[in-house]
Amino acid sequence: MSAFAQPIRTRPGFFKRWQTMGVIGVRMMFHDKLKLVGTLFGVVFAVVLGNFQVGTFMSLLFKNRMFVENAQVDVWVTPPGTRQFQGGTPLNDSQLNRARTVPGVAWAEPLIVQAVQLKLPNGGSEPVSLVGTRAPRFAGGPWNLVSGQTDALLQPDAVIFEDAEREKFGGLNLGSVRELGGHHVQAVGFTWGLLPFAPAYAFAEQTLVREITKQPVDKHTFLVVGAAPGVSKTELRERLQLALPDTRVMTRDEYLSEILKYIVFATQIGFSFGTSTFMGLLVGLITVALSMFSSVVDNMRQFGTLKAIGATMGDLARLLFVQAMVYAVVGSLIGLGMMSALVQGIRNPQLTPILPGVSVAITFGLMIGVCLVASVLALFRLRQLEPAMVFR
Amino acid sequence: MSDQPAVVLKGLTKTYGTGALAFQALKGIDLTVPQGEFMMLVGPSGSGKTTLLSILGCVLTPTSGEAFLFGEPLHGRKESELPDLRLSYIGFIFQGNNLLPALNLEDNVAFPLELRGKSRSEALTEAREVLSAVGLADKMKRHPDDLSGGQRQRVAVARAVAGRPPLILADEPTAALDAETGQQVTQLLKTLSTERGHTVVVVTHDNRIFHYADRTVHIEDGLLVRPPENH
Repeated sequence: MSAFAQPIRTRPGFFKRWQTMGVIGVRMMFHDKLKLVGTLFGVVFAVVLGNFQVGTFMSLLFKNRMFVENAQVDVWVTPPGTRQFQGGTPLNDSQLNRARTVPGVAWAEPLIVQAVQLKLPNGGSEPVSLVGTRAPRFAGGPWNLVSGQTDALLQPDAVIFEDAEREKFGGLNLGSVRELGGHHVQAVGFTWGLLPFAPAYAFAEQTLVREITKQPVDKHTFLVVGAAPGVSKTELRERLQLALPDTRVMTRDEYLSEILKYIVFATQIGFSFGTSTFMGLLVGLITVALSMFSSVVDNMRQFGTLKAIGATMGDLARLLFVQAMVYAVVGSLIGLGMMSALVQGIRNPQLTPILPGVSVAITFGLMIGVCLVASVLALFRLRQLEPAMVFR
Repeated sequence: MSDQPAVVLKGLTKTYGTGALAFQALKGIDLTVPQGEFMMLVGPSGSGKTTLLSILGCVLTPTSGEAFLFGEPLHGRKESELPDLRLSYIGFIFQGNNLLPALNLEDNVAFPLELRGKSRSEALTEAREVLSAVGLADKMKRHPDDLSGGQRQRVAVARAVAGRPPLILADEPTAALDAETGQQVTQLLKTLSTERGHTVVVVTHDNRIFHYADRTVHIEDGLLVRPPENH
């Protein structure tokens, strides 16, 4: 070895550079705990607010689509202009009979859905969405039964109610008698969670429903159709639409999609939820960006030292990138954990925010994007930093 | 490289700003520093010594003239080439020590070694050796905030000499220290640089440490001047 020190020509490889700068970046983050908490708060706030909005919107969507989703119906014949699960001009028997003659139709049944007042023991009243389904198929009949059987609807004056509304309906139990639309009915079963934004669903055999609602025997809210085995639902929908030009015919999936489009585009709900979700993300971005930016400004001398010693702009970008990723991943995990606890804590049939897997994945993606944008803004500040400042 | 002087400056100038606001900090510096020399650069505030140190440290480019480090030209370099030159040639000791408070002492010394391509374990081994050499073997896991000013400056010395870069640049290394600690740190730097074959350029106001220098170079108003007769 020479007596004098020699130039050092070795340099780290690609991964070693990431490791070195990443470790420094993480240690700098955890050294300034106040700033760490502040930045994570921004990410957590954005995650919780964004997911709560999405979860509530999904819940709203679920409530509006639950009947079509669960009715075990292949094709729906609805009044013209139908865009959500709501009746319009009644359909008639001649349309029902024509539907039954269309090739590929295995069965077609009428369905009645109508709001009716339930008289309470205390003299008050509560509305229910009474569904008339026809025996013995009971197409569009009750699901999620927690007490009783669908066949119990064959008993005289039998109605299946929603379990979550029992208290509201005056302490309703199996065998309880109530006056529904001026007609005495008996509770023979209970469903769980069938609470749309309209009044809770109650189910009865169609003959009874016609007596209660005074709906003529040849008038129906919807016609529900089952496809014969091997018949394409889309093809069947086309045939039915040709046979029934004065109606709107949709497959189950088309009807679900139509309700979604209606909620998102035809009401202000999509705009409202979208705006608040966007605001959550914006607040998160601003908080993280300000925090990372101020962290850079506060530690300018340290970054100057790193530059003076030989760290390149690429090295500093790696440091900020790793910090951004840690903020995004840790903040998202905390936020999603809080969101999950919140959903479990408030879960009930009236309000059930839904946290779908795709929302969790999008959250990670968006938060990583937000934190990366923040780190790029901080990097712009570092580009202006002259390493000579360490000698001043 | 062994025959080359550590530093050669020819007609070096540096001007900040342009037009009426232009200020010429260096007005034509000629200087040669042989390898292994322990040189002190002294002068009053505003004389240009920090500017000269910044050019030697490859953190600032000269306006005109020529500058060589171990025969390698610094003038005409792109800014993007300078970090690599710093890693190859220079260890820094700053006035305020500039240790990273988030890292413990061994990591503070190890990370420039990792930037130079050493593995984590090699860097830590060398960092521990150098920290032992500066008398801080028992404090390697401590953070800079836990140390006295003198101890921090010893860590800064350890960080500068770790990896054995050929040139050590020290900017007022005793400015924040009391007289006795300043002497100890300078003695330490002198001893280590002699043992390990570093060339050292120290910018200082502190005349109590002048006697450690092999040579003292005076700068005033952007020009090198002859030292006062009584020095």
